[in-house]
Amino acid sequence: MIRGLWDRETVASLLVAAHLPLALFWLWYGGAEAVATVLLAALVLAGWHLVFLLARAQPPSLSGIVTALAVAVLVPQDLGAVRLVLGISFGAVMGELVFGGWGRNVVNPATVALSFLGFGFPAAPWPHVMEPVAWAALATGVLGIAAGIMPAGVFLGAALLAGVAGAAGALPAEELLAGGLVLVLLLGDPVTAAGTALGRWLHGGLYGGLLTLFALGWEGGAPVQMAVAAALLASLAAPLLDEMAITLWLARRRRRHGGT
Amino acid sequence: MSHVAGLTPVVATPPAVGEGWSTIVTEEAGIAAPPGHDLRVTLLADEGAVVAEGEPVACLRDAPDICLVAPMPARVARIALRSGRRLGEIVLFREAGGDVAGFDTGRASEEYGLRTLIQSAGLWPALRRRPFGGMPAGGERPIAIVVMATDTRPLAPDPRRAVEGKEEELARGLDALAILTDGPVLICRQKGDPLTGPGAGRGRAREIVCGPRHPQGAAGLRIHELAPATIESPVWDCHVEDVAALGALLATGRAQMRRHVHVAGPALRESRSVLTQPGADLRGLTYRVAAPGPHVLLSGSALDGREARWLGFRDRQVTALPRAARAGPPHWLIAALTRSARPRPIIPTAALTQAFGGALPAAAFVRALSAGDDETAMSLGVLSLLEEDVALADYVLGGDAQLGRLLRGMLDRIETELAA
Repeated sequence: MIRGLWDRETVASLLVAAHLPLALFWLWYGGAEAVATVLLAALVLAGWHLVFLLARAQPPSLSGIVTALAVAVLVPQDLGAVRLVLGISFGAVMGELVFGGWGRNVVNPATVALSFLGFGFPAAPWPHVMEPVAWAALATGVLGIAAGIMPAGVFLGAALLAGVAGAAGALPAEELLAGGLVLVLLLGDPVTAAGTALGRWLHGGLYGGLLTLFALGWEGGAPVQMAVAAALLASLAAPLLDEMAITLWLARRRRRHGGT
Repeated sequence: MSHVAGLTPVVATPPAVGEGWSTIVTEEAGIAAPPGHDLRVTLLADEGAVVAEGEPVACLRDAPDICLVAPMPARVARIALRSGRRLGEIVLFREAGGDVAGFDTGRASEEYGLRTLIQSAGLWPALRRRPFGGMPAGGERPIAIVVMATDTRPLAPDPRRAVEGKEEELARGLDALAILTDGPVLICRQKGDPLTGPGAGRGRAREIVCGPRHPQGAAGLRIHELAPATIESPVWDCHVEDVAALGALLATGRAQMRRHVHVAGPALRESRSVLTQPGADLRGLTYRVAAPGPHVLLSGSALDGREARWLGFRDRQVTALPRAARAGPPHWLIAALTRSARPRPIIPTAALTQAFGGALPAAAFVRALSAGDDETAMSLGVLSLLEEDVALADYVLGGDAQLGRLLRGMLDRIETELAA
């Protein structure tokens, strides 16, 4: 018998590869501080993966690198190492590892870590998204879709809604850049995105809608903060969207074939 | 669903030498139970007896009308039964000359006579029912019969070439199949000329054009799309060559014991298309063309075939793969650290969606399968599927997911709960 290669670690390494353009541009513009942040995040995640490997026999995953990158790119600035370690630990353990590791988690650990840090320490300023980094995120998204490892429906649904909102003048350029970056870094995770075709479009649409809503009505919110909050809420709704899509699919089948 | 969905897994094979089909009737042949199913049999011939081609060798204990027949004039060499009179295998040695058994086709125009004819002529195992797989019970009436005239598995022979010039037999066979069901007779084929004329299958035959990629030509996904099988309403599927064989049986009263088989795979020096008997000895079929070195012979494709000595009754291809060196046991520490993480999690990628041809919500289905959630899986259509239909997804996921085994376990569980 022959074996294909799309197991968990293949997907994880392809995800890492797809994130390379984004990572390179961000490190180029971020300098030494960016390198230090991403290394710290990677070190903390590696530590927790090791703990769960030894305590629960959960094999570690390369997806930790993508998580570390997402946290480092989007994390509020001037937090200091202790808070950063605390936030990443919370995100990695409660968002991913207690569920059994990458592939069994419900929410993206980076989203959990960022929400924890953002809402726990509201005084820390959120980062600004540089335009070249956002363009690099576009390259990452295209690579991910081409390899079939990122949910194309999510991206397209969000782009559709953002396009409509942008044309109506409801989504300023700053929010658009932050929204795009968060879309690729947090919603591009195939595990926590919705799993059905329709569910993915709805997932992306919900994210775009929430982002537009926040851009219109959130006084004093930073663009990245809005995008992270929208990503968190949208990913919590993803199982519901999947359920809706499957119910609809079943209803259509029932109409075509009759019976149960 | 779109006709382009699916994948094209590439299995290397050497080129064929010469055109057309060469006839190879192997010196030995075996009759064995289909994989995953037990057949409780009553023997009709003893060891050492000489049987004609098409003569019954054994019949089922629960349904004595359903016979297993000799695929060539032969001497019964060895009979291996397991406990409870379950069929292990019946090995036959070819006898030169020999007779061909004839059957009375006089009553085949009505349903009872037709069923008896198919069953006694040994063609019944060519039919397969869903849900649960295996051959149907003697009196079962399906809601639809799907005739597969396409095969998208890697290195599979084109079924249309097997029925070239047999239009008359095919039409006769389709008419007979239409007697066995009140529903449609669906013929799945690649695009091209139609296989049947108007009014075939008593006006209930319909041709369905399938896409060229796997699993578009997998019977389970076609049934899932066209006529989903449920517990009360089974669906049958069979190969188009067997329908033509049925037509020939009705016309001549003699069962045709030859089939077109493609022998290919990376462990051969040349691939060949052969005309051989069901249950042929796989070593006989690869004799003189196998490359030196250890290899395994699969009855079936590289995706869903199984290591076997004899060609399976429904199989149309033989795949020879190099035998991989047996991996030593993993280091005890690595084994201890990774063992609890099985089954490995499924990452929903585009590859997984394509592996099901986009016909069902793949991630949800695979999760229901690995979680053992029978109800969800049934609502998503697990009753239309068998192991071979998830073989591509299993291959794509690297074989760790063991989807075939999970599916068989789930189907067995549903069947047991139903019987209780």
